[in-house]
Amino acid sequence: MTVQTINRAGTLLLVVFTLTAPWVLPLFVDSFWVDIYSEILIWSLLAASVNLLFGYVGLLSFGQALYFGMGMYGVAIGIAKLGFGFWGGFGFGVVLATAMAAVAGVLAVRLTWHYFAIITVVFSLIFYFLALSWKPLTGGDDGLPFGMPPLISIGDFELTLTDPDVQYFFIVLMVGACYALMGRIISSPLGRAFVTVRENDLRASLIGLNVYMIRLSAFIVSGFIAGVAGALFALFGRYASANFMFYHVSGEAVVWAIIGGVGTLFGPIVGTSLLIVLREELSHVWAHYPILVGIVVILTVIFAPKGIGGIWTSLVHRFAGANAGKGGDQ
Amino acid sequence: MELTIALALNGIVWGLIIALIALGLSIIFGLLDIINIAHGDFFMVGTVLAWFVAETTGNYWLAFLIVPIIGFALGALIEYTVIQPIKNAAALSIVATFGLAIILQESVRATFGATPERMLPPIHDTIPMFGIEYEVYRLFAAAASIAAIGLFFLFLHRSKLGTWMRAVRFDPETATAMGIPARRIYLMTFAIGFAMASLGGVVAAPITTVYFEAGVDILPFCFMAVIIGGLGNLGGTVAAAVLLAFFEGVITSFTDPTFARIGSLCLMSLVLMIRPHGIFAGATR
Repeated sequence: MTVQTINRAGTLLLVVFTLTAPWVLPLFVDSFWVDIYSEILIWSLLAASVNLLFGYVGLLSFGQALYFGMGMYGVAIGIAKLGFGFWGGFGFGVVLATAMAAVAGVLAVRLTWHYFAIITVVFSLIFYFLALSWKPLTGGDDGLPFGMPPLISIGDFELTLTDPDVQYFFIVLMVGACYALMGRIISSPLGRAFVTVRENDLRASLIGLNVYMIRLSAFIVSGFIAGVAGALFALFGRYASANFMFYHVSGEAVVWAIIGGVGTLFGPIVGTSLLIVLREELSHVWAHYPILVGIVVILTVIFAPKGIGGIWTSLVHRFAGANAGKGGDQ
Repeated sequence: MELTIALALNGIVWGLIIALIALGLSIIFGLLDIINIAHGDFFMVGTVLAWFVAETTGNYWLAFLIVPIIGFALGALIEYTVIQPIKNAAALSIVATFGLAIILQESVRATFGATPERMLPPIHDTIPMFGIEYEVYRLFAAAASIAAIGLFFLFLHRSKLGTWMRAVRFDPETATAMGIPARRIYLMTFAIGFAMASLGGVVAAPITTVYFEAGVDILPFCFMAVIIGGLGNLGGTVAAAVLLAFFEGVITSFTDPTFARIGSLCLMSLVLMIRPHGIFAGATR
């Protein structure tokens, strides 16, 4: 059993679970967990956008909420104010977020390390305050609700997200497409270039890589991913709100990514699942459970900076090494 | 016009308090190379502790003595348990201090409660100034901040420990080789940073609301002062804090305060892009 087969089996398990969740989950737990699982999938994309930047290019962004918010507002404004249909609104949100990332990225990736983290927060704060004060367009604090247009409508036949199964599989499809895209990019020459820049940007530039353009493309892709997450979340909650653009949302995404394990494709899903399940389970029992989250974050940074993904990788390697040639049901 | 004067004066007072807090942020960044997301919460802890002292002893002035000492002790404890172990993972220090911020906020919410409290200023008088009646307590707050900032600069430039702090910042290896206990200097710097933020909290407690999310509101402003003044340029930080708060006060009297905030944030991005060492860099180097 090689490392690769174990990882493939893990991925397969995740895919099978995701595809059967609406029927399998209610057998064991309350059916609202299906909704929570869709939420986890959406938020995991935001964590994945942090992971793509930090885990693969080495840039820690504390402002991904900006692109998430742009995706949200794109959908809400597109549908509620501009009269777009479902796909028009969705596309508008994603395009808006990607364009925002392109503009912000041109400026932000000139900086690295702490300065990069600060400038990304500053950009997100600027637009957070704008969204708060521009009430006629954004609804400010109250948010901007919208009615759900149909996904497809041919004659009498209509598919809308108000049907829970349609909503679930729409989210799964979109999230799956994003992970496929990220997986494709990471294993492409561009993905190799990302890692080269992360490991040693001077050497990368000396072997002829355009470090600036590589960082910028990573920034735009991660803005796109965060934008899809925001657009999906707007459709999921049927509204957009400035609160989702605040830096605490960005910070949470960073926490999910770090705990899940940066530099692994599925780490963000693991981290997001763990922390959202923890929230759902603990918030009834102990209202101050975030103290526990804070402690877990600090312990992770100190003792397992590679997160759960890192622990998994080293376990799998040990298992594959010890059982070379033998079978196992990992 | 009267509103403008009042808001401009308020701005200067707030600017001085922010300067006190931001100095703590700046020395922590300069010496330990840590972006301290929890710094606003150090301030918040200060306001809450001041509230507790005033409630239990009935004497607000005691807080000036007690709270910075508690702040120093808490800072030392945090440095020892959290900051020291993450020294090797500098990139993740932001994440660790974010975790710290969550812990501090939730702990305060658990003990102090989620409802904002208002503290009555210990001095109720007003005096005429520039054609308006101005609260004496705010003048006191400004004077207290100036005194604290002055003491800090005196400490940094005239005492042995202050000189050691500057030496470790300049070159930690040489400083260690010369027998300066760098490890303890890091601990002390972080503790002083916490103490200064909590003292800022004591000064500000009667003129702001005491609640567990107060730090979240103040943190961006502290960062603006530190960045625009120049990272590690302590005099620049003080000047930037006062100027920013003054202009935000003036702008607020004409229009929506969020526009003033957006303006400051845009200025901060410009400084980061064009003059990452701050707008006063030429004057001090």
